[in-house]
Amino acid sequence: MKRPKTATNANLRLAADIGGTFTDIAVFDERTGKLTFGKALSTPEHLVEGISAGVEKAGSDYRSAGLFLHGSTIAINTILERTGARTALVITEGFRDVYEIGRINRPDAYNLFFRKHVPLVERALRFEAHERVLADGEIDKPLDEDEIAALGRKLDSLGVEATAILFLNCYANPEHEARARAVLERNHPGMFISASHELSQEYREFERCSTVVANAYIGPKVRRYIGEIDAHIRSAGFHGSFLIVQSTGGLYESEQAQSQCVRMLESGPAAGVIGTQALCRTLKLDNAIAFDMGGTTAKAGVIYKGEALTTGQALIGGYDKALPVQIAMMDIFEVGTGGGSIARIEDGALRVGPQSAGAAPGPACYGLGGAEPTVTDANLVLGRLGADRFLGGEMALDVDAATRALKTRIADPFTMSVTAAADGILRIAVTAMSYAVKGVTTERGLDAGDFALVAYGGAGPLHAVQVAREIGIRKVIIPGAPGVFSAFGMLFSDLRYDYVRTWYTRLDDAGFDDMEAVYTALEDQGRQAIASTSVTPSRIVIKRAADMRYVGQEHAVTVDLPMSVFTRQDRKAIKRHFDEMHLLRYGTSAPDERAEIVSLRSTVTGLMRKPPQETIARGPKTPTKNAFTGRRKVYFAEDGKAGKFIDTPTWRRADLRAGNRITGPALVEEHASTTVLLPEDVMTMDAYGNLVIAVGGGR
Amino acid sequence: MAKAKKKATKRASSRRVVDPVVTEIVRNGVIAVTEEMKTNLMRTAYNIIIYEALDFTTGLFTPEGETVSIGIGLPMFIRGMAETVKAKIAHFGRDNIKPGDIYVTNDAYITGSHLNHMTFTLPIFHKGKLAGFSCCMGHWLDIGGPIGGMTTDIFSEGLQVPIVKYQDRGVINQTLVDIIRQNVRIPSRAMGDLRAQITAVKTGERRYLQLLERYGADAVRDAIRAIMDRAEVSARTRTKTIPDGIYEAESFMDDDGLEVGKRVPIRVRVTVKGEEMTVDLSDVSRQVRGFYNSGITTGYACAQVAYKCLTSPTDYPINDGSFRSLKVIVPPGRVVSATRPAPMRWWMTYPMTIVDTIFKAMTAAIPDRVIAGHHADLLAPTFHGVNPRRSEFFIGSFGPLGGGWGAKHNEDGVSGTVCINDGDTHNSPNEQAEAKFPIVVERFALVENSGGAGRHRGGLGIVRDVRARSPITVNTQIDRAHCRPWGLDDGLDGSGNKVELRIGGQWKTDFPNAKVLVAHLKEGDAFRIQSGGGGGYGAPLERPAEEVAEDVRQGYVGIADARELYRVVVDPVTFAVDAEATAKLRA
Repeated sequence: MKRPKTATNANLRLAADIGGTFTDIAVFDERTGKLTFGKALSTPEHLVEGISAGVEKAGSDYRSAGLFLHGSTIAINTILERTGARTALVITEGFRDVYEIGRINRPDAYNLFFRKHVPLVERALRFEAHERVLADGEIDKPLDEDEIAALGRKLDSLGVEATAILFLNCYANPEHEARARAVLERNHPGMFISASHELSQEYREFERCSTVVANAYIGPKVRRYIGEIDAHIRSAGFHGSFLIVQSTGGLYESEQAQSQCVRMLESGPAAGVIGTQALCRTLKLDNAIAFDMGGTTAKAGVIYKGEALTTGQALIGGYDKALPVQIAMMDIFEVGTGGGSIARIEDGALRVGPQSAGAAPGPACYGLGGAEPTVTDANLVLGRLGADRFLGGEMALDVDAATRALKTRIADPFTMSVTAAADGILRIAVTAMSYAVKGVTTERGLDAGDFALVAYGGAGPLHAVQVAREIGIRKVIIPGAPGVFSAFGMLFSDLRYDYVRTWYTRLDDAGFDDMEAVYTALEDQGRQAIASTSVTPSRIVIKRAADMRYVGQEHAVTVDLPMSVFTRQDRKAIKRHFDEMHLLRYGTSAPDERAEIVSLRSTVTGLMRKPPQETIARGPKTPTKNAFTGRRKVYFAEDGKAGKFIDTPTWRRADLRAGNRITGPALVEEHASTTVLLPEDVMTMDAYGNLVIAVGGGR
Repeated sequence: MAKAKKKATKRASSRRVVDPVVTEIVRNGVIAVTEEMKTNLMRTAYNIIIYEALDFTTGLFTPEGETVSIGIGLPMFIRGMAETVKAKIAHFGRDNIKPGDIYVTNDAYITGSHLNHMTFTLPIFHKGKLAGFSCCMGHWLDIGGPIGGMTTDIFSEGLQVPIVKYQDRGVINQTLVDIIRQNVRIPSRAMGDLRAQITAVKTGERRYLQLLERYGADAVRDAIRAIMDRAEVSARTRTKTIPDGIYEAESFMDDDGLEVGKRVPIRVRVTVKGEEMTVDLSDVSRQVRGFYNSGITTGYACAQVAYKCLTSPTDYPINDGSFRSLKVIVPPGRVVSATRPAPMRWWMTYPMTIVDTIFKAMTAAIPDRVIAGHHADLLAPTFHGVNPRRSEFFIGSFGPLGGGWGAKHNEDGVSGTVCINDGDTHNSPNEQAEAKFPIVVERFALVENSGGAGRHRGGLGIVRDVRARSPITVNTQIDRAHCRPWGLDDGLDGSGNKVELRIGGQWKTDFPNAKVLVAHLKEGDAFRIQSGGGGGYGAPLERPAEEVAEDVRQGYVGIADARELYRVVVDPVTFAVDAEATAKLRA
C-alpha cells in the first residue's frame, strides 16, 4: 500500500472540485505565491476532461504540479441516483433485516402514503452468518470460516460485485468481521469488500450497517473513477501526489479513497468550510459561519475558536427517507433555498422552494423556457443582478421574462406590485436561510451574533448582508473568487484520519491505562495511514475527544479533551470539560452527577504546508475611476416600510484595491457573482482582496 | 367544541387581508420555534422515552390556548396540550397569570393520557401583555406506582400533580420539587427530564419574543390568524371532496387485561356534510376496568389525527385552524373519555385502533385515500432487574417495536414502522441496549408471511427475541393479538401481535392474550415480542403473479402462502412463475 514519497521540484499545487454543473480549478504556485482559478463545464460522461479543461483555463499544466487535490460529487451522486454496484450484505444471524427496518420512525406523521428509506441492498442479497459477539467482546458463537467461504461462492454465482460485512458488536471485538473479510478477499480478489469496523467502531448497528453498505455500493465505481483520473493525469505528465478531500475537509491518499470511498461523500462542501477556516486564520478571526449558497441549496458550516466543527454522523437524502452514514463529517446544515428556488402560491400561501428550476430550464430570466419565478428572477427585477453583467456578460438575462413570471404567478393573484412580490420572495428566502444558519449555532449552544459570516457560492454574496441582519451578525466577508471557493479551500487541507471506538464505561471506573491503550491503537492506525501516503507532512497533530453523558442520559455529547488530562491522569478535569460542554450546548449542567464515557475519538492530522495568502496592491480610500462601472436602479426596503428604487453605483471587483472603501447602497460585481451592500453597509477591501463588510456601518 | 367551531367559522369569513410575505415568514418562524424547543428537549432529556422514542411534544399557543404550532413529534398529543393550556388558564384565571410563572400538571383527566406525561406551560409576556404560551409535554420514565402488573384506578398509578405553579413569578416551588423527588424511583433522572422541559419552554419563550420584536406583535398575531384561517379553508376544501353521507365501522380490542378474552367494541360513525365532518364516538366501549382508558381530549385527538390524515396530511404548522370544520361527539364515560378514577396507565393503545377504524369507515366514501389496518400497538415492553455489573437497579426498554402497516389502493403496506399515533419516534439500537442491560438480542427481523395478502400486500411485522444474561422481570401490555389488522376491499387480514416466552429452553406460546403482565426470567430464558403485519388491499388473486414471485424471491412471502393465498406457483430455485400451474390454480 505504501506509496513512494514524492520528491519533486514541481512547484504547483492543483485543486479540482467537480460539482454537478461546473468543474472548478484552483492553482497555487509555491514559488511565486500566485493563485489562479479556472472554471469549466463538468462533462458527466468523462469527468476527467472537465478537469483538464479547467486546468487549461487556469493556464496551468500537470507536469509542473507536485500535488493534485481533488473533491467530487461522484460518491454522493452514486447513492442519490442509485447507480452503484450490485451489492450484498453479510450480517450476524438474526439481523438480516436491521438495514431495512432502520429506526422505524415516521417523520411524515400524518401522511398515510409515507415512504421509508430504500436499502441499497435488496433483501434477497442479504445473508446471515452464524456468529455472535457480545457487547463486552466475548464470543457467544464462533465464526465458521467454511460457511463464509460457501457464502462467497454463492455471492459470486449471483453476480455480486461488492459485499458489505456487518457483525453485531464488532466495535468491541472486530475479529469475526476481519476474518470473514479475509476469507472473502482471498477467494474473490475481484470483489469489492468492506467490513463495518474499518469505517466505524461505534455502536448503533443500523447506522453502521448503512455506512458499510454505502461504502460497498459506491466502491467499484469510485475505485474505477479515481483510477481513471490517476491514469489520466499521470499520462499527462503528473509525477506528484494525488490526494482526495474527505467529508471532514481533510485529505487522504487517493489509494485509501479507493477502499474507504464513503469518506469522500461531501468533499466539495467540506472544502468550502476549510477555505473559511483558512481565511479566519489569515484574518485572525476565531468564529465564523461558512455560508455557501448555490442554485438549489444553501449550506452553513461553523468555525468555532478557529476549528471547523465536525459531526460523527450525517443523513444522506431527505430526512424521512435518509440513509445514515456514521463517520466523521463536517457539520453542515442544508436548506432547500438557492438562486433557482421557485416561488409558488400553494393553498393561498406564498412559498419559496424547495423546488428548484435547476440549470434547465432555470430561472425565467435565463430564457430557456422556465415559466416560474425564482429567487434569481427576483434579484434581477430588483436590479441586484444586472441583465448584461451575468457571468461577466457572457449570458444576457431576460428582464421581461422575469417580470412576466413574477406578475402572473405571484403579484397579480395577491394584488401586489411586481416589486413587492420580488422583495417578498427575497425576504422569505433570506429568513428561511437565517433559520438554517441559526440552527447550526443554537444546536451547539452558540450565539450566531458573535460570528462573522463568510459568504460564497454563486448566490451567497447577493444575500449575505440580509442574512446577516436577520441573525444579528455585524461582519460579512466575501472572499476572492467566491464562485470557486471550494477549490480554493482544498489548497489549505491537511491529511486527516478520524477514528472512533465505542468504549462504554463509567468515568469513575475508566482506567487511564485502558483508555490510553484504546487511544494509542487508534492513533497508531492514523500514523500508519499518514506514513503510507506519498507526502510528508510538516508535523503530526493528535486531538482526542470522548462522547460522554450523565449516567442515565441517552444522548452523548462529544467533548474535546486536551492531552494534558491524560498525561496528568486527571479524571476531575475530564468531568469538568464535560460539564462545561454540556452547559454550553444545552444551557444546563450537573457537576454533582456522575458521568459515563460512551466512545473515544481521535483525530490524527498531518499538517501540510499552507500557501501564504497573496496580498494585493494597495489603493486609496476611494476606489479609482476605472473600478466604477455605472449606476442602476436597485430596490431597497427596510422592514415594514415601503422601499424604493435607489440610483446605485456598481463597481468592478477586479479593479478594486486594498484599502478601498465603499458605502452602501452599492453593488460589487465580478465574473460569477454580485455582492449587494444595503444602505449604511460599509465595505472595505482588505490586503488579501476580501470584501469586508461592516453591516449597517458596524453599529 | 361545537360552540368554538361556530365562532371560528365567523372569524374565517371576516378575515382581513394580511401581508402574505410576513405570513410566510411567521409561518416558517413558528415552525422553527417549536422545532428548536424539540431539539433542546431531546438533547437534554435523561430518559430514552424522550430522547430515542421522542415521546414528547412542544408547542406554541395563543393567549386563549389555541394551537399555533406543535412540534412534529407525537400525533396523539395533537389535542392534549391545547386542552391542558386552556385548563391552566381557567384554573388560575387570566388576570392571575404573571410573568415568571411556569405551570405544571400531570392530571390524567386533563391531559387525556397517563401520569407519566408531565406537562409544563410558560406564559409568554411581550411588553407587559400576555402574548401566548409555550408548552412542553414529556414522558417521564417513572412516576411511582407499580412497575409491572395491572392497575385498576388512578390512585394506584403513581403521583398525581394537579395544576400548580412550578415557578411563581420567578421563584421555584421547592415544596413541589421535594414532593416529586420523594415519589419517583430514580429522582435524579426525573429531575433531569424536568430541567430539560424547562429548557424547552424557555427556548420557546425566547424565540417567540424575538419573532414578536422583529415583526411586531400585531403583525405576528395577524399572520398567525391568517395561517389558521388558511388551514381551515384547506381542510374545508378537501372535506368537500368527500361524498356526503354517514359512514360507520366496527372493530374490537382483545380485552382490557382483567377480563381476559372479553372483546372491547370500537364503533365509530362519521357524517360528512358539505365541508364539515362529524366523528361520533358515542358507541365506542364504555370505560374499562383495566388500565387502557384515556381522557376526553384523547377522544378528540383520535378524530383529529384521522381528520388530518384524510384532509391535510402535509400542512404545517399543525394548528387548530385545520380542525374548525371537524365536530367530535364523545359523551363522558367512554374508553376515550374516561372519568375519575378510571385507570389510564396504558392509555395509548386503544386510540390507535379508533383512528384505524375511522379510516375503515371512510373506505366506502374515499377508497383511494384510506389505508388497511395496521399493527396498532406500541409493543414497548419494559424489563427490569439488577444489573450484575454494578449491582444497580435498572428499567430497560427498546422503545416501540414498530410493525406492519396496511396496504393502500395503489401500493403495498410499509413494513416495520412505528404505529399511527407515534410519528418521528425511534427505536433504540440493539447494540446500545446490549451495552446497557444484561441481555442479548437473538433475533431482530421482519416476519415472513405476516403481511395480509391482497392485490396490494400489507407490510411485515417485526420480531425481537431477547435472552436474559441475568434474572429480569418482563412486563408486556400488548393488545390486538386476536383482533388482527384488517384488510380492505377483499384484502386479507395481517397477522396479529404476539408475546412468547422461553423458560428453561421451552417456548411457551399459548398465552390467552399478549398481556404478560409480570414474567420472571432466569439467565438463558428469553422473551419474544412480535408485531402484526398490515392488512392487504384488494383480492389476492388480483395481484400479478410476477409481483408474488418477487415477494417470494425476497422472502417477504413464503412459497406455500404464494400458492395457497395468491394461487401462484413459484419455482423454489429460480423464483420464476410456473405460468401454467398458476393459470390453472387461478382459474
